[in-house]
Amino acid sequence: MKKPSHLLGLGFMLPALIVVVLFFLLPVFMTAGIAFTNMSTDTGITGGAYELTPNTIHNLRTQGVDNNLLAQLETDVYRIDEPGLAALATDMGDKLAKELGDTHGGVTFQSRRELERAIKKLKNKPRSTRKLKKAAAFFKRSILNQRFETESEFVSATRNLGLDLAPEHQEVLSKASYTGWTWTTENFSLMTKLPSTLRIAGNTVIYVFFTLTFNVSFGLFLAITTFYLPGKAAATFRTIWFLPRILPPVIYVLMWKWLTWDTGFISTFFGQFGVPAKNWMLDTNFHAWVVIILINGFVGASMGMILFSSAIRAIPAPMLYASEVDGATRWQQVRYIILPQLRWPILFITSYQTLSLLTSFEYIFLATDGGPGKATEVWALSAFHQALANYGGNLQYGYGAALALVLVIIGIIASVGYLRVFNFKELVARPRIEQ
Amino acid sequence: MKSRNFSSLPIIILLALVSLPLVTMYVFLFVDTISDAPAGSLIPTSFTLEHWRFLWEEPKVGETSIWPVTLNTFIFAATTSSIVMTVSLMAGYALSRLNMPFRRFMLAGLITLHAFPTITLIIAIFLILQLLGLYNTLLGVIIVKTALELPFGIWIMKGFYDTVPWEIEMAGVQDGASRFTVWWKLVLPQVQPGLVALGVFSFLSAWSEFILPQVLSPSGSGQVLSTYLNSLILDDTRPDFNMFKSVGLFYAMPVIFIYLTFQKKLMNIYGGGSKG
Repeated sequence: MKKPSHLLGLGFMLPALIVVVLFFLLPVFMTAGIAFTNMSTDTGITGGAYELTPNTIHNLRTQGVDNNLLAQLETDVYRIDEPGLAALATDMGDKLAKELGDTHGGVTFQSRRELERAIKKLKNKPRSTRKLKKAAAFFKRSILNQRFETESEFVSATRNLGLDLAPEHQEVLSKASYTGWTWTTENFSLMTKLPSTLRIAGNTVIYVFFTLTFNVSFGLFLAITTFYLPGKAAATFRTIWFLPRILPPVIYVLMWKWLTWDTGFISTFFGQFGVPAKNWMLDTNFHAWVVIILINGFVGASMGMILFSSAIRAIPAPMLYASEVDGATRWQQVRYIILPQLRWPILFITSYQTLSLLTSFEYIFLATDGGPGKATEVWALSAFHQALANYGGNLQYGYGAALALVLVIIGIIASVGYLRVFNFKELVARPRIEQ
Repeated sequence: MKSRNFSSLPIIILLALVSLPLVTMYVFLFVDTISDAPAGSLIPTSFTLEHWRFLWEEPKVGETSIWPVTLNTFIFAATTSSIVMTVSLMAGYALSRLNMPFRRFMLAGLITLHAFPTITLIIAIFLILQLLGLYNTLLGVIIVKTALELPFGIWIMKGFYDTVPWEIEMAGVQDGASRFTVWWKLVLPQVQPGLVALGVFSFLSAWSEFILPQVLSPSGSGQVLSTYLNSLILDDTRPDFNMFKSVGLFYAMPVIFIYLTFQKKLMNIYGGGSKG
């Protein structure tokens, strides 16, 4: 009896497993992997090729690679080899090719002039200067700006230059010329060096702290006030405050833009009193922050409102009636009966929303996109910008993933901490729909 | 709570005051789509349907008609919701009731997956879709949205199965039915309300989704209403809020309608929802 049940279970799980593993689990591990690469639009996401560009040589020079060697790589050399001779033979006759091969086969000339001088001394030398130049051109050997698909091709091409490359130099050269992505920890060292890191970290703290404070206190306010209202009025206000959560973010933020932009409500309204129109969302950093916190806060407060409301409703009504008979004011009811009951829901909302705010960026992206300047650029938005919406056009997948990985690590540490504080079973049983 | 000792009027006034910004936004979201106001004034003076012309007018060169985009959005939301429902229905039952290897491990994994928000996945997903050739297609966005919704959906469904009494299944098995028949004939009817709630929830969630289509299908045939509206807003140098709002209201109407219909069922899911 046991076996069929196993099979049925696995069969039932299979579709879920496939989708979740491919598009959820794999991305998690890939993000961790990509964080340790220099992957970007430039490097591509599959393999790369080997190409020595003037830029690479410049980089190598600043890294202190032997100058002589680099100078040689940069200049064209002329080498008498088989492919060159064959090309010469088909174009200008076997005789010249054979003679050149016999006299100078395998020799490398450092400049065009040297080679031309050598050809001029031959018996079968070309008659015109133009032809002489053309003959010399067959032997021009340079790897600058040439693509090689594999490392061995690249290495043999550098050998063909006739350079005397030590193996370690060859390795440095190959590494520098590789156009694909490579493994590196540079993202993290860059992160510690860049001043913008501190800035986005600071912005994130501002964002999370103020939005959270607003969410919890305003959620409490809504829950308590609507609790004291008759049913119809309470339901109306709850719907008003719940709608921001249910509305698609693009429309919700559009309403805020209408409210705050220079052709929008506030400007028009104050225009009646002679206040010049301005963009109340992006005018100063302070304006931007206030709007961002309100936009997120109005959405976030509804979660507090719902959870706190159900927690308040769980308080036995006789307790409240009794307190009223004893002459307690509403404020005293709130202070001494309701708030103590809400300790756990408040703690839960605080920890839950800290984590989700830390990684949220959708509303900021839609509203200010991190502006004005980079005033409201938070950590998650910065990761998104770096990796997927870079104005420069060169998307830095590696650096973006590294930024995202930091959030994952903070999230995991925090979750473990929360699970210790909250009863694990209670937490995992919570998101259940009751009918 | 009702009480005769205190009047609720002060509370109503206070709440009305703090709700004023939101109410203003709602009222003008509706009013502005069917009226015109003179420049520099807020009070509409004339009724017009001109702002809704995007519904019937031929789009100008370089503009997209809204109907194929609406169809895309519907396909996106409906497909996502039905896959999430089907897969969660099966996986939830397996996790809740069936004896199988790695059950505990899978349960733990499900909770862990919840801790990974979009930003930590989307970079890798973007690259995966490019490798698979699904970048810039609606299919890619559907698969990804489904995958991101699944852990939540499975968890919700597992919760529902947990509330179904064991006795129902025991009785079925005693009478000689297979586990599959028991599930299909006896257990499914019990979890139907939950399934409806999950379906509505994931439909709304996909209908509202913005970041995924924006990143994974930014141009061409895979456009949905959220990205359509956003690019409208970004393109214009002089914002025509009346038109934006008309498109916005058109986009929001199904959401508001569905919400009002299924309000009670949805309330508890949203209480633990994934938005900040």
